[in-house]
Amino acid sequence: MNDLTQAPVRDPAYNFAYLDEQTKRMIRRALLKAVAIPGYQVPFGGREMPLPYGWGTGGMQLTAAILGADDVLKVIDQGADDTTNAVSIRRFFARTAGVATTEATPEATVIQTRHRIPETPLQAGQVMVYQVPIPEPLRFIEPSETETRTMHALNDYGVMHVKLYEDIATFGHIATSYAYPVMVDERYVMDPSPIPKFDNPKLDMSPALMLFGAGREKRLYAVPPYTQVTSLDFEDHPFEVQQWEHNCAICGSHESFLDELILDDAGTQSFVCSDTWYCAQRVKENNQ
Amino acid sequence: MSAHLLQPAFVDPVLDAQRGFRAALKALAEPGLIQHLPSAPRLDGLAPATYALCLALLDVDTPLWLAPSFDTPLIRANLAFHCGCPLTDKREDAVFALLGEQDLLDLGGFDHGNDRYPDQSCTLLVQLTDLEAGRGLLWRGPGIQAQRRVHVPVPQAFWHERQRREAFPRGLDVLFAAGHHLIGLPRSSRIAEEHA
Repeated sequence: MNDLTQAPVRDPAYNFAYLDEQTKRMIRRALLKAVAIPGYQVPFGGREMPLPYGWGTGGMQLTAAILGADDVLKVIDQGADDTTNAVSIRRFFARTAGVATTEATPEATVIQTRHRIPETPLQAGQVMVYQVPIPEPLRFIEPSETETRTMHALNDYGVMHVKLYEDIATFGHIATSYAYPVMVDERYVMDPSPIPKFDNPKLDMSPALMLFGAGREKRLYAVPPYTQVTSLDFEDHPFEVQQWEHNCAICGSHESFLDELILDDAGTQSFVCSDTWYCAQRVKENNQ
Repeated sequence: MSAHLLQPAFVDPVLDAQRGFRAALKALAEPGLIQHLPSAPRLDGLAPATYALCLALLDVDTPLWLAPSFDTPLIRANLAFHCGCPLTDKREDAVFALLGEQDLLDLGGFDHGNDRYPDQSCTLLVQLTDLEAGRGLLWRGPGIQAQRRVHVPVPQAFWHERQRREAFPRGLDVLFAAGHHLIGLPRSSRIAEEHA
C-alpha cells in the first residue's frame, strides 16, 4: 500500500501529467487570474478526464497543470491516503507524470484533497488542490448563474446571511457543518469546498497556496498564502467548530477531526481520526 | 522569409513551460517576492525571464500587444513561430501586453475586465533592467503576511496611473521581469509610500 517517495517510471504514451500543453496553458492562465482575484470563480475550458465527474476531475486538471517533475504529490480523500479515490489519483499521476508520491504531509509539495485539510500544519511553498463539486456558494439560494454572478459583482451577499439566520431561527444555531461559506480578503464569498467547518480556520492566513477546481462546473478559484479568510457569522452567533467528547480510538487524539464508526447492530460507536497519516504518526510516536 | 531569424526556445518545452508558469504563479501568489528562472532561453531584446513567460503562457488564444521597443522582426518571428500568438495593434484586444519601463506612464486602453468577469483583463509583462534598484514601497494584501518592502524601479507616475485606474475586482495584473528574475504585482496588492 505504501508507495513512499520512490519515483515511479513515467508512461511515455501520455504527455507529461496527461493533459496536452494547450489545455495546460489555458488552465494556467486561468490560475494566474484566480490568484490575482482571491475567491473569484474563473471559468475555464474543463476537459474530459478518464474518470467520471464527482471523482475529482476538477482537482486533477489543476494538479496536471501545475505539476512539475520535482514535485512530490500527496492525495487524500476525506483525510485518508488509502481510499480508492486517493490511491487511484495518486497512481494516475505516478504513471502519467512519473512524480514521486508520499503520504507524509510535510514531504508533499502538492496535496490534492477531497474534503479535508490535513491536521499537520501546512508550510510555505506547499500547494493544496481542492476537489470541488459545486463552486458557487450562493447556488442553493439562487439557481441562476446570471444572478449569482451579478451578486458577486455587486458585492451583494445579504441573501447568504439570511440563509444563516434562517438556520438560527429554525435550529437555534447555524446548522451548516461543511462547505461553510467564507469571505476572502473582505470581498468575495467563497465555497471552501465540502471540508468540515472544523477545517475553515486553517484557511485563514495559511502559508500554503490554495487552489480549487470544479470539473463539472468548469470553474476554478484560489486563495493565495497569507490571505484573510473569515467564516461568515453573526456577532451574537459567532462561528464555532465541531467538538467531540471522545478521543480517537486508535491514537487517542482529542484535537483532530473524528469520523464516527458504527461497530455492530446495537449501534455501538467508535471514533477515529479522519486524517490517516496524522493518526499513524501519533501511534508511531506513542510507541517510541 | 523569416527562417534566418528563428532561434531555439525552451530546451524541454513541457517541463520548462511548467517551470515558467510555476514561477509566474508564485510571483502573483506572493507579490513582491523575487522568483528565479535559471533555465530560461535568450532572445535579442527580450530578457530570459520575459521570454520564458511568453513561451510558457502565450498561444493562439492570446492576442499580444507589443510596445514599439519590442516590435522587431526577430521578436515577431520567434513569438509567431514558438507561441503562435496573434499580434494586435489595438490595446483593448490584447490578452497579454509586452511593455518596457517607458510604456508604464500610460496604461490607457488595456482591458481591465468587467465586474462580472474581472478575469478577462489584460496581463502586462513588463521588462525592466533590474528589480531591486528602485525606491522602497510597502506592499500589503493577499499573499503578504504583514507588509513587504519592494524596490521595483518604476517611475512614480506608474503608481499614480495604477491607483487612478484601480477599481477592484477589475484591474491589470503585472509581471515585472529582469534578467532571470521576476516579481508579480496582482491587482489585489495595496501599495503605500514608505514613511521613513
